Amino acid sequence: MRLSRYFVMACALIVALFLVGGLAVAQEKVVITVAAGAVGQELELTREAAQRYMEANPNVEVRVIDTPDLATDRYGLYLQFFEARSSDIDVYQIDVIWPGDLAEHLIDLYELGAREVADEHFPAIIENNTVEEQLVGIPWFTDAGLLYYRVDLLEKYGLEVPKTWAELEEAARVIQEGERAEGNEDFWGFVWQGNAYEGLTCNALEWIYSNGGGTVISPDGVITINNPNAVEAIEMAARWVGTISPSGVTGFAEEDARSLFQSGNAAFMRNWPYAYALGQAEESVIAGKFDVAPLPAGRSGHGAATLGGWQLAVSKYSNNPEIAADVALFMASSEEQKIRAVKGSFTPTIMTLYEDPEVLEAAPFFGTLYDVLINAVARPSTITAPNYNEVSTLFFRAVHSVLTGAKDATSALEELELELQALTGFEIGEP
Amino acid sequence: MMFKKNTGSKLLQREQRLAYLLLLPTFLVLIVVALYPLGLVFVTSFTDRTFASPREPNYVGFNNYAQLLSMTIRELPPLIDEETGLQAVDQKTGEPLYERPLRVLPREPRRYREVSQFSFFGKRYVLGASDPDFIKAVWDTLVFTVISVLLETILGLGIALVVNSPFKGRGVMRAAMLVPWAVITVVSARMWQWMLAPTRVGVINVILQGLGLGDGNIAFLSQPEWQLPALIMVDVWKTTPFMALLLLAGLQLIPNELYEAARVDGAGSFRQFISITMPLLRPTMAVALVFRTLDALRVFDLFQVMLAQSRYSMASYNYYQLIGNRAMGQASAIGVIIFIFIFIFAVAYIRLLGVKTD
Repeated sequence: MRLSRYFVMACALIVALFLVGGLAVAQEKVVITVAAGAVGQELELTREAAQRYMEANPNVEVRVIDTPDLATDRYGLYLQFFEARSSDIDVYQIDVIWPGDLAEHLIDLYELGAREVADEHFPAIIENNTVEEQLVGIPWFTDAGLLYYRVDLLEKYGLEVPKTWAELEEAARVIQEGERAEGNEDFWGFVWQGNAYEGLTCNALEWIYSNGGGTVISPDGVITINNPNAVEAIEMAARWVGTISPSGVTGFAEEDARSLFQSGNAAFMRNWPYAYALGQAEESVIAGKFDVAPLPAGRSGHGAATLGGWQLAVSKYSNNPEIAADVALFMASSEEQKIRAVKGSFTPTIMTLYEDPEVLEAAPFFGTLYDVLINAVARPSTITAPNYNEVSTLFFRAVHSVLTGAKDATSALEELELELQALTGFEIGEP
Repeated sequence: MMFKKNTGSKLLQREQRLAYLLLLPTFLVLIVVALYPLGLVFVTSFTDRTFASPREPNYVGFNNYAQLLSMTIRELPPLIDEETGLQAVDQKTGEPLYERPLRVLPREPRRYREVSQFSFFGKRYVLGASDPDFIKAVWDTLVFTVISVLLETILGLGIALVVNSPFKGRGVMRAAMLVPWAVITVVSARMWQWMLAPTRVGVINVILQGLGLGDGNIAFLSQPEWQLPALIMVDVWKTTPFMALLLLAGLQLIPNELYEAARVDGAGSFRQFISITMPLLRPTMAVALVFRTLDALRVFDLFQVMLAQSRYSMASYNYYQLIGNRAMGQASAIGVIIFIFIFIFAVAYIRLLGVKTD
């Protein structure tokens, strides 16, 4: 693996040198390359936006290249470009947890025209993308955890949409027992993401933060995870496994949860907004039978949704950083985000779009999303950079060990606290 | 030695020079694509270099290696119940309780974490390591290698013997046998991942439940006790055909006259197998074993696709440290350790099985 990587990189370098040499002679237009995602309609929409930019700016050619679907694969690819200090890509689409890690390779967008537009976006995302007073990525579209529930089943059993985790547990139990008594043996109360991966970090952060247990590491760099509220929240989730959730939930990712919910075999689901459009599709058996709500609250009195989503960032190694920044700001502008919201139900990061009638008509659940997003909680990625990946891995593995019953929550969190201290060198404190 | 013997003949000398000259391009390519990168990895392993970071790396000596390989064993004192003065027991299981490893394992100069616990002469011990993930990865890779290669050899031999005997449709059988091996590993890993889904969405759970085993909700890829068996099963499914193919080639080298002569002498089929097939198959089997063992020690795709970060093989841990954790120095040290590890394995194997290398 190692040998071939260097070999490939050497080859790529040689090819790149030729390309740069060739371009310097042949180039008339400024070429800006955008590395973007290709999940669902993503790539198509981005290409259309690039086309509109080129029509307005005939001296610029915007090329959109697609990148791997899995975030970790994309991260690995970007790192290889940065390691080579490559100018091949000017604009990168980056995940909400990467600004801290990649900041040293990215340009401060505040200096290139983002100062005026930053206030239009959700403050939590802008704060997340700000590293040492520099805005390293302009928010493009966002994501947050939501509670999906079956309207028909709540009605059938005379239940309200749960506002707290305790209510959710009770409602899930009642519906599950009722449906099973009627012969659907595969029916479960609540499905979520419990496999040992980044998704569990998102889920567990929601349980803990909504229960007043903090954000694992606070934004000002204090390790807060070892507290009674966090222990209680994780114990609660461990109790679900095998009761209201299948014992296999410890192997679930987003699509496992969605396949159960969308086949009509679950009453509640925690998932991202993307599951909404798919669940309402014509061939779905639950089309028209479900809705979304903010996730339930714990001890803190309010629910919490983990912030997800993607930003556009400009590489420091770009040959034309000003133009690249202009492309990025254009694509993340209000008009462009509106087109993406209407055509592809991509959740905008610009607050006023949630009151836009055209957007609300195309995606009615955006009304709920606004309240969720304004209260969304960011993962502790910016403060722990460049160690966030390791922080998250330690965290989800600790939680997973409690879910599978290998450890009890108290000792798992106590050990996690020491691990995090050894890794980051931060102080330990209360949330 | 050889040079001394050959000094007499000028022709031989000339031929030797020509041989070296002809080999020169190969050596040059080898230096560029193998020795240079390997040397670079070796040098990087003594630094704390971060992957894709402009920060200057520092020289850290053997620190990366010490971090990966440090291990210790400590005794866990029993927990004493304050009321009775006897060892406390778990209320539910009735098992005796010991002090938690966290309190016993040293934290300076480097922190040790629990790898496993074991009892010895009535005392409880804990095995600690400064990087328990790496130690577990080495152990899991070894377990995976030994069991999967053993099963593949036994099954592969059986299949090779069957398809070597003449029967109708043998050609079709031989081709069909190779299908699992022809599928790209990442694809077959993903396929098995779906079949092993943790609910009745997965076909394996459905079958097991139909047979009255389990409740249809076995999380094969996230329950620690199921992870390695599941992976070994997939590897055996995938690589047995390769083993069978190699052994089949070996079987076809055995002249039929030997069996005829044995039959004339009145030897039964079992005796024929022990006295003719096995000894004559030995060189082929040795090569096949070396191949498969070294391959299995480097296993990456199965672990990466099916277990990701919940459990590592040596190679997938190396990848995680490089890309996920960006610890390039540490990852290089892991690379060097794997290299040495496989080198020792290869030499030992070749010596043990008496494979002729010249």
